[in-house]
Amino acid sequence: MMKLSPFFLALMILAWSCAPEELCEEDSISELVVSFKTETSGLLSDTTISGLTIYGIREGQPTWLLYDSVTFAEILLPLDPHHDASNFVFQANGKTDTLGLMHKSEIYLISYACGFGHQFTLDPEMQYGEGMILKDSLINSIVNTTLEDIEAHIWLYF
Amino acid sequence: MKHISGSISKAALVLLILALWRPASAQDTLRTYGPRFGIDLARFAFILADPSELGAEMSVDFEVLKNLYPVIELGYNSISESEDLFNYAASGIYGRFGADYNLISLKDRSQHHTFTFGARYGISAFTHRAEDIYIQNPYWGDYVLNAYEKDLQGHWVELVAGVKAELVPNLFMGWSLRYKFLLNPDMDPQLLPQLVTGFGTRGQDTSFGISYSIFYRIPLIKK
Repeated sequence: MMKLSPFFLALMILAWSCAPEELCEEDSISELVVSFKTETSGLLSDTTISGLTIYGIREGQPTWLLYDSVTFAEILLPLDPHHDASNFVFQANGKTDTLGLMHKSEIYLISYACGFGHQFTLDPEMQYGEGMILKDSLINSIVNTTLEDIEAHIWLYF
Repeated sequence: MKHISGSISKAALVLLILALWRPASAQDTLRTYGPRFGIDLARFAFILADPSELGAEMSVDFEVLKNLYPVIELGYNSISESEDLFNYAASGIYGRFGADYNLISLKDRSQHHTFTFGARYGISAFTHRAEDIYIQNPYWGDYVLNAYEKDLQGHWVELVAGVKAELVPNLFMGWSLRYKFLLNPDMDPQLLPQLVTGFGTRGQDTSFGISYSIFYRIPLIKK
């Protein structure tokens, strides 16, 4: 039985040294997936906004440009982990609107290689109303770093 | 006075060693019963292999019925690791409760070698903590949190197979292999524990364990 000891030790050290090193393959930013829709005579359809510019508004700091004159039917909006609200200015075709999203957030471990990220829970009440965004629908209130299987978190109607 | 007590201690130690190393008599057919205490030596080897993880474990069993050994195992585990984006530490105590059944049938009742299969229920109470959490965010600014800490309990079951050989009367060495199933893997959805004390590491639902122990049985009963 005593002869097993060095063999056992060597086996254990070998097993440790063979453990694969974990690599991070995931983004640590939590982004909201927004799909653009139109509703004509009760008929819902996807729509594309051309010439769309979006700014993020940071409290006490200058606004920052997120999208500059793009044409998309779907966009990703990173949510603000420092506050309980994220605000974005939408501009297209001479119209402007400000989208205000209320949320709660908590940190969670993505993986030991990637570190932590934020998980947001969206409030169903969204703020806008300057004439560009007509209506909204909350599809999925949980926003985290995983975008797999997420078709959209919210729909915005134009 | 000091000199006398020192001599008595030395004499007691010599007697203890002689008692331990007394070879088993060929005519001795009586079986010895008593609580058997063990220390897991593999914990010390683990420290050599991975100094960030510390642990100690002891056990006690007793042959209450023929070939049946109820077992209690108690231990302590801690881990401290520095990741790129945070530091992690966990520490706590654990206990395992169960029984082993001996599959070896020896003609000589005075022989106590065993090859056992058994099961355990494990429970641990531990605290885990992430410090200096840093989340990069090029849009809204990087996010820094000093610490996240939570007290947790782990519950699991184990299947155990092992061997114990009686080197000299009442002194045993043995190893065991364990396959463990965590019953509450979602104990902290925010921070998957790197170490569930007594169960294992890396947030897996199952884990494999090995122990290599030395045991001493207190010979209370011979029959």
